[in-house]
Amino acid sequence: MSLHPLRLASALSRRGFLRSTGLLAAGTALSGPLTQALGAAGRVILPFENGARELATYPQKRPMILLTARPPQLETPFAVFNEGILTPNDAFFVRYHLSGIPTAIDPTAFRLRVHGRVAAPLELSLDSLKSLAPPVDLVAVNQCSGNSRGHFTPRVNGGQLSHGAMGNARWTGIPLKAVLDKAGLLPGARQVAFNGLDHAPLPGTPDYVKALEVDHALDGEVMLAWAMNGADLPMLNGYPLRLVVPGYYGTYWVKHVDDIDVLDQPFTGFWMTPAYRIPDNPSHSVEPGTTPERTIPIDRLTIRSFITSVTEGATLPTGRVAEIRGIAFDSGHGIREVLFSSDAGRSWRPAELGASLGRYSFREWRIAFKPASRGQHTLMSRAMNRIGETQPLEPLWNPAGYRRNVIERVNVEAV
Amino acid sequence: MLMLILGCATVAATATAAEIALPPENAQLIESPLHGYALAQALCLTCHSPDYIAYQPPSGPAYWRSAVLKMQKVFAAPIPDEAIDPIVEYLIATYGKGRERPATNADGNRPVNSGGTRK
Repeated sequence: MSLHPLRLASALSRRGFLRSTGLLAAGTALSGPLTQALGAAGRVILPFENGARELATYPQKRPMILLTARPPQLETPFAVFNEGILTPNDAFFVRYHLSGIPTAIDPTAFRLRVHGRVAAPLELSLDSLKSLAPPVDLVAVNQCSGNSRGHFTPRVNGGQLSHGAMGNARWTGIPLKAVLDKAGLLPGARQVAFNGLDHAPLPGTPDYVKALEVDHALDGEVMLAWAMNGADLPMLNGYPLRLVVPGYYGTYWVKHVDDIDVLDQPFTGFWMTPAYRIPDNPSHSVEPGTTPERTIPIDRLTIRSFITSVTEGATLPTGRVAEIRGIAFDSGHGIREVLFSSDAGRSWRPAELGASLGRYSFREWRIAFKPASRGQHTLMSRAMNRIGETQPLEPLWNPAGYRRNVIERVNVEAV
Repeated sequence: MLMLILGCATVAATATAAEIALPPENAQLIESPLHGYALAQALCLTCHSPDYIAYQPPSGPAYWRSAVLKMQKVFAAPIPDEAIDPIVEYLIATYGKGRERPATNADGNRPVNSGGTRK
């Protein structure tokens, strides 16, 4: 497989960084533990109780961590996030809710229906959709609401994910606004509901439908995308068309979207209420084990950062400078700073930020770290965005296990 | 990989249907002499693979009952009322808190999910 151009660019800039700081040898030594996760083992153990998972190969995908087979739910092996800032399509996570998923789609027969509180209902082919407006590109993180749920304490039922239900891609499509303007919203339009080709095997099961407020749908950033990272969407990521809601959790990024319904009242389907709700308080959290009094639909991503270049238990040579690298992202305000600690949070120093691919993208960061003494070192990273949001030292808890953004720890061993 | 994938680039060029074949689903419910085992096979697996059950963290009886009732009442699974108790009993006994998960079940298959080609 040839190296993706952007991955290549990242590799080259990394080499430049290493050379400029004299880290090339240390960087090479680091590469050992990074690449193991995609080996032939066929099995991984996620770092929580009952975390044994198969690595499974699905169509258009490299081996991925199998959460469920039907419907498919596949988690990205964490080592992928150290390969580059854009998550390759064949490693991008897969999350479905209902097992009636499309496996064969004729793109010439596909139609997107727009109806409800509109002046002119539409039935658009892919070609006519693409001709409605100039295509736009946007790099944005898609992250599952329950990403990292398996790390909650106390544990929370639901999909037991480690940190791999997220990905960063360059999405190509047209603004949803162009389609809604073409249809012409009528007075009284309040929400826009999105449905896709996936369905439940039983007629009585609530179909997977999500809704956005009209103002949000018309913000010019919400997209109908047909491509990611320069290629058609993989089938399991929503071919031939999906909603892209920058800065918002993946629950809103409806796959295989073929139906847009403009509503004159709030949509109350199961997947908006009671599902995908968070506590209605400033921290959107409650005391572990308790139930919130009021809830609201989950919305924007929390700010997060990860160390990607070393994983738990990795060894580093004592007294030699190593490059530590990672990623940070937020809901679109933009990453202002990433702080790094190698002493379990007692002291912090700023990391160097990599090139920006836009405010909704993963942002690379890196920093030199020289373990002065043998033994365990606890590495941490903490991101802050342009409005001052940062990551908490202690985890926040909510009954559904959403929005984890505590400062993560990686223990390494200097030898 | 054995499954047929029509590459998306090809799809765009030839305007034929994009098609994937999902890998076979290998996961099975853990065997049990309890009556609820057969009921779970008949009623739970209509909509989802058994890994949804197997991957849960250690969970007490209240969780398993609420999960089955949610399937019946919210997801409209055709679970007769009289099947609720035996299914819950099977899930608690087989997957509940404090139960050791066997490495393999009686057929030698791994009970903890699977599916996907492992070749």
